[in-house]
Amino acid sequence: MVATRENFPLLAELLAEQQRLDTPVARFSSAHDLGLVSRRSAIDSQLIPLTAPRPSEQYAFEVDLDSCTGCKSCVAACHALNGLDDTETWRDVGLLVSNDRRHPFTQTVTTACHHCADPACLNGCPVLAYEKDPVTGIVRHLDDQCIGCQYCILKCPYDAPKYNARLGIVRKCDLCHSRLAGGDAPACAQACPTHAIRIVTVTVGGALRPDRPVESGRNAPPTTFLPGAPDPGYTQPTTCYVTHRTLPDNQVAADAATLRPQPPHWPLAIMLTLLPVAVGLACAASALLLLRRLPPSVTYYVTLSLPSPRMGNESVTYYVTLASWVAGALGLGASVFHLGQPLRAWRIFLGWRKSWLSREALVFGAWFGIATATLVLPALAPLSAAVGVAGLACSAMIYIDTRRHFWRAAQTGPRFFGTAIVSALAITAAPIAAFVLLAKLAWESRTAFDGSVTARLQRGPLRRAVALRDVCGFVAVIGLLAGPNPFAFAAIFAGELIERHLFFRAVDAPKMPGLPSGASAKEGLPAGALAKEPAPA
Amino acid sequence: MSSSLENLLHARTGPMTSDMVLHPADFGLGHVPARLNPVATTSSVCGFCSTGCALKIHLNEKGEAINLTADPHYPVNLGMACPKGWEVLTPLAAPDRAITPLLRDPHTGELAAVTWERALAAFTGNFQRIQREHGPHALAFLSTGQIVMEEMALLGALAKFGMGMLHVDSNTRQCMATSHVAYKQSFGFDAPPFTYRDFEESDALLFIGANPCIAHPIMWQRVMMNRRNPEIVVIDPRATETAQAATLHVPLRPKSDLTLLYGLAHLLISRGTVKREFVAAHTTGFAGFAAFVRDFTPARVAAETGVPETTLDRLANIIGRRERVSLWWTMGVNQGHEATRTAQAIINLALMTGNIGRPGTGANSITGQCNAMGSRLFGNATSLLGGYDFGSPSDRAHVAGILRLDPARIPDRAGYAYDQILDAIDRGEIRGLWVIATDPAHSWINQTHARAILAKLDFLVVQDMYATSETARAAHLVLPAAGWGEKEGVLINSERRLGLVKKVARAPGQALSDFAIFKLIADAWGCGEMFRTWRSPEATFQILKELSRGQPCDFSGIRDYAHIADAGGIQWPFTSADADSLRISDSGLRIAQSEIRDPQSEIKKTDRERRLFSDGKFYHADRRARFLFDPPRPLPEASDAKYPFLLLTGRGSSAQWHTGSRTDKSAVLRKLAPTVLTVEIHPADAAAASIASGDRVVVRSRRGTAEAIALVTATVQTGQLFMPMHFAAVNRLTFAAFDPHSRQPAYKACAVAIAPE
Repeated sequence: MVATRENFPLLAELLAEQQRLDTPVARFSSAHDLGLVSRRSAIDSQLIPLTAPRPSEQYAFEVDLDSCTGCKSCVAACHALNGLDDTETWRDVGLLVSNDRRHPFTQTVTTACHHCADPACLNGCPVLAYEKDPVTGIVRHLDDQCIGCQYCILKCPYDAPKYNARLGIVRKCDLCHSRLAGGDAPACAQACPTHAIRIVTVTVGGALRPDRPVESGRNAPPTTFLPGAPDPGYTQPTTCYVTHRTLPDNQVAADAATLRPQPPHWPLAIMLTLLPVAVGLACAASALLLLRRLPPSVTYYVTLSLPSPRMGNESVTYYVTLASWVAGALGLGASVFHLGQPLRAWRIFLGWRKSWLSREALVFGAWFGIATATLVLPALAPLSAAVGVAGLACSAMIYIDTRRHFWRAAQTGPRFFGTAIVSALAITAAPIAAFVLLAKLAWESRTAFDGSVTARLQRGPLRRAVALRDVCGFVAVIGLLAGPNPFAFAAIFAGELIERHLFFRAVDAPKMPGLPSGASAKEGLPAGALAKEPAPA
Repeated sequence: MSSSLENLLHARTGPMTSDMVLHPADFGLGHVPARLNPVATTSSVCGFCSTGCALKIHLNEKGEAINLTADPHYPVNLGMACPKGWEVLTPLAAPDRAITPLLRDPHTGELAAVTWERALAAFTGNFQRIQREHGPHALAFLSTGQIVMEEMALLGALAKFGMGMLHVDSNTRQCMATSHVAYKQSFGFDAPPFTYRDFEESDALLFIGANPCIAHPIMWQRVMMNRRNPEIVVIDPRATETAQAATLHVPLRPKSDLTLLYGLAHLLISRGTVKREFVAAHTTGFAGFAAFVRDFTPARVAAETGVPETTLDRLANIIGRRERVSLWWTMGVNQGHEATRTAQAIINLALMTGNIGRPGTGANSITGQCNAMGSRLFGNATSLLGGYDFGSPSDRAHVAGILRLDPARIPDRAGYAYDQILDAIDRGEIRGLWVIATDPAHSWINQTHARAILAKLDFLVVQDMYATSETARAAHLVLPAAGWGEKEGVLINSERRLGLVKKVARAPGQALSDFAIFKLIADAWGCGEMFRTWRSPEATFQILKELSRGQPCDFSGIRDYAHIADAGGIQWPFTSADADSLRISDSGLRIAQSEIRDPQSEIKKTDRERRLFSDGKFYHADRRARFLFDPPRPLPEASDAKYPFLLLTGRGSSAQWHTGSRTDKSAVLRKLAPTVLTVEIHPADAAAASIASGDRVVVRSRRGTAEAIALVTATVQTGQLFMPMHFAAVNRLTFAAFDPHSRQPAYKACAVAIAPE
C-alpha cells in the first residue's frame, strides 16, 4: 500500500513545527543577562596585565605548559569569538613527544603569532601591511592593505600568518588587541579551562627570558623558547613557554618525521623560470651587440666560435632582444596570478626599504621599461642586461632572506643565475651551455643526498618530478651538444620549470610542533591514505 | 597628505578590516565582530558528552543560532567549554546531512530519496511483515545516549508497548551499562552519588581508568579548582595526559585493576583503617568481603599487577588516612571483561572507608554520553521506564496506570542486551533492526563480524542526521533526523543534573526531530492513540515526572522546562517537598545575580550542587549498601608468541567524539586531532621491531588488520600498544568479550602483533 498524505495528517504539522524557532523575544531568551556585568571580568583581570607596557617592554603570550592538558579549547574559542571562516584557525596545537625510555612524556603545545620583537613577516611585506604597535608590541596585519602575495607566510618560521583564499589575503592573530583595549582577555586566554594562557609584559631587546624558562632536558641548558620549535634568534618570538618540571631529553615534535611537500606556487615557478630566461637573453643580446663593436679581427675569430656566422647579424640581435622582452612580459604577467588581490598590487613599491620583494618589483619594473626601449634603441641592451641581473639578484634574495635551508644563497643563486647563464649560452655558445647545465644538474642533485628534509622529500613524494627534471636536463644537454635548436631550448625550459617547481615543493618549511599526521618518513603517502574512511559524496 | 590619500596608500581601514573589528557586545559577551553581535542569547546544554556544559547560544533576530560562548553562570562549566562544545553548531550545517528519507532501490541497489509517506509505508510494511512471519520479537532496535530523554522514553514505549518488541538496547551498553549494574546491585538503584563540587572538595582523588584531561576537560577544570592541595592518583596502564598531570601515576598491568583494588582493601583492613561504625550501620556483606580479600596479600598483588609493594603502601595510606577521598572511574573500568565487579571493588573501598555522602568523597562513575543517564532511566531497555522492574507485576501495573495503558502490553522481562541482539540476528531470530543515532558498523567490537551480521537483516532502518555513517550506508531505509540544537528536551549529566536543550536552528530539508519521527511511526503503525498525551517533548516531560515520582530519581518537584532553565539545571532527586523547601522555582534571576554579587556564596552552591547518601541510607529495601565481589578472571585474550602485544584503546583527543559522525564535520575539530590513525609503541619495542616515529605499520589481530602511523613514546609500557577508538579500523582488531553482569564489551585489551609495512 502506498501511503498518501491523507494517511498522515500529522506529517504536515510536524514538518511545519520542525521549522518553527522561538524568536529571541519568546520564552527562555536570557533577559537575566541584560545589563549584568559578566563574571568573566573578574577572571579576565587575572589573565591580562593591568598596566600598559613601559618603553622597551611589550605584551606577549605566556603559556604554562604544566597547566595545559591538551583540551585545545583555545583554538576553537579563537575561531568562534573572532568569527573566522569555517576552515580558518589562527591558533594551532601540536604535541612534543620524547623517546626517553625512562620518562613517559607528552606535552601539548598551543601556539599562535608570537608577536616577535623583530617580525620577519613585517620585514618582508612589500606593501607595509604589517605594523608593530609602538606601545603594546602587537604585530598587526592590515587586511585592506594586503595584496595576498603570501611572502609573510614564507618569511614566518612559525607558520603564524594564514592565507584566506575566500578573501585573497593573509590574516593572523592580533592578540585580540581590541579585547585587551576593552579590558577583556584574548579569546584563547578566556577559554582555557585551566588558565594556561595569559598575557604578560616582557622586556624587549636582549634575551626575552620568562620567569620560569623551559628546560629542554635534564643536562641541557635552559632555552628561552621551546624544544622542537625553530631557532628564536631569527625573529625573537615573545611567547613565553614556562614549566616547573624537568622535561626529558630528546623531545621532538610529533610530526617531525612527517614529510610535507609545500605549495607549488605555479605562477611564481613560471615567473621565476621566465625572468631568468629573459635576463639571460638580454645578456646574450648585449654580448652580440658588443661583438659588433669589437675590432674586426677579434670579431672574426669570435664569430668563428659562434654556431653560425649569421649570429653576428643585427636582425638576430633584435630577435634575441624581442625573445627576452616576450619572456619578461610573460613572466611578469604570471606573477599577477599569484596575488590574491592583484588590484592592490600597485602599492608594491612601499616596502622597498626592507623588502626584497618590493625591490624585485621595482627593479624588474624598471627593467621591463628598459627592455621595451631596447626594442627600439638596441644600444640600451647592456643597460637592460645589467638591470635584469640586478633584478634577478633581488629575486634570489627574496628566498635567501627567508633563511630556509634549501633556499640558502648557495642553492638559490646558482639555480636562478644558472637558468640565465644557460639561456644566454644556449644562443651564443651551445656546447658551453651543455656543460654549464650539466654542472647545474650536479649542483642541484647535492640537495637530494644530504640527509635533509628536502632530500627526503625529493627522494620520496617528489621523486617523480625529480626524475622528470633530470630527464629534461639530460635531453637538453645532449640537444645543446648538437648546437642551438628548438628542441634543446624546449628541453631547457621544461627542465628549468620543473626545477623551479621543486624549488617550491621541496623546501623544508619551519613551523611549530604539530600533531601526528600524514606522510611517513620512509615514503610519501597520498593525502588521507590512512585517514578515516571517506564518506561518499 | 590628506587622510584619504594616506589611507589609499596605506589602507588601515576598509571593509576587510571592519569585518574583524571587535565591538563591545551585550549579554556579558565582551567583544565580538559586529556581524556576529546577537540580538539575544539562550542557554542550552551541550549534546556531546556527559559533563553537561551549558552553552550560551547567540541568536539573530530570526531566532537562529549564529555563534556561541560557554555559559559563565551554569554551575557545571562556569564559563568554559571544550572544543567540541565550541564547535557544536558546525555539524548541523554539514553538506552531507540527510534531508529526505532514503529507500534502497531493489533494482539499482542504491539508496534513493523518497517521500516521508513512502518511507513510513516501507517502515511499517517491512517491519509488520517480519513480525507476521517471524513473530513480534523478530524486530529490535539499537538506540543511543545522544538524544533527549523524552525521545528515549517515547521510543522505548512505542517499541515495547506499541509495536510489541522485546529486544531493545542502546549504545549506552558500550559505555555505562557497567556503572548502571554496579550501582544498582551495590546501592539498590543506579545512582551516581556525586556532584561536581566534589572535585574541588577532595583531599585525594583517585582516577581509575579515567582520562578526564582528554575525555572530560571541563571536569578536569573543576579538579584544578581544588584548593586543598589534593593528592591526585591515576591508576591506568598508560601515562595519559591526566596521569602526567597527577601527583601519583600507578601504571598497572592492563586489566589487573580488580586485583589491585582487592589488594588495597586487604591493606586497609590489615591496617585497621576501616570505618567500622559506618560499615556496621549502613552496609551488609563486609565480613564475607574481608575474608575474601585476605588472600590478596601485597606480595601477590604486586606480582600480579606489576605495582611495587611500596606503591601499594602509598595508595593505602592515601585512601585510609586522607579525610575526604573520592574515587572516579570511566571506560577503563566499564569496558572490561570483569567490569561490574571492578566498579564494585571501587564502591567497596569507598564504603569501607566511609568515603560516601560527605563533600569530596564518593565512588563516582563519570558518564560518557550526554544523556547516558536519561537512557538508563527512560530507555525502557534493561529497566522499565523510570527505573522500574519489568519482572515485577506491581511495577508494571504502576507504570501502566500512569500511562493509561493495558498492563498486558508491558513485557514481563527485559530483552536481550546489545551483543545478544546481534547474536540473535546472526541466528536468524531477529530479522528487522531499527538503529537510531548510533553507528554499530563502526563502534561495535570485532567489527568485521558485526558488519557481516548486520548484512543478514531482512530490513535495516537507520535514523540519523547523516546518511553517510558506516551503518547508514548499509541500510535499507534511512530516516533523516534533526540533530542537537534543532529540537528541545532534557539531558541528564554525570552528576544527575537535568539540563535543557533548546531549538536554535532549523533542520535541513525534510529532516524531523526523533520525537516527531516516533510520533509519525506510531501513527503509521496504528498505535498513535496510545501516545496521544505525548503531544510534545515538554508534555512528555510531565509524564516522565509522574513516572519518576517516588523513585530515587524523583524529579516531580520540577515545574517545567522554564524551571530547569531558570535554575541552571536541577539534580535529581528533586521532589515536590524539595521544591517547597528550596524555592528554587522562583529564584532563577536571584541566583544569577547573587552569583555575580558574591561568587563564593556557599548557600547558593549547596542549593545548586547536591550529593546523595549524606544520611547513609541506600536504596535497597534494608537501606544498606552491599559489598559485592568475585575472584578475578584472566584476560579473555592474553598476548602470546604470535600476538605478543596487548592493544589498549581509548579516547585519542578532546576534539573527537566517538565515531566522529559529528566531530569530523568540523574543519576546526579535524585540525585538532591527528589526521591519520596512530599507534603508540614503547621505544624499546619500537627499536626491536625497527619502527621509528612516523613509520607506516600494520597492526594485526586474529580478527583483522589496521594500518597506522607509529608514534614512539614511553607513555605506553613495553608489550602494549595504544590506538584511539575514533578510527573505524580499530574495531576490526578488538576481541568480543563481555562483562557477564553488564554485557558491556571489553574494548580495552586484546592480543595483537605489529610490524613495519
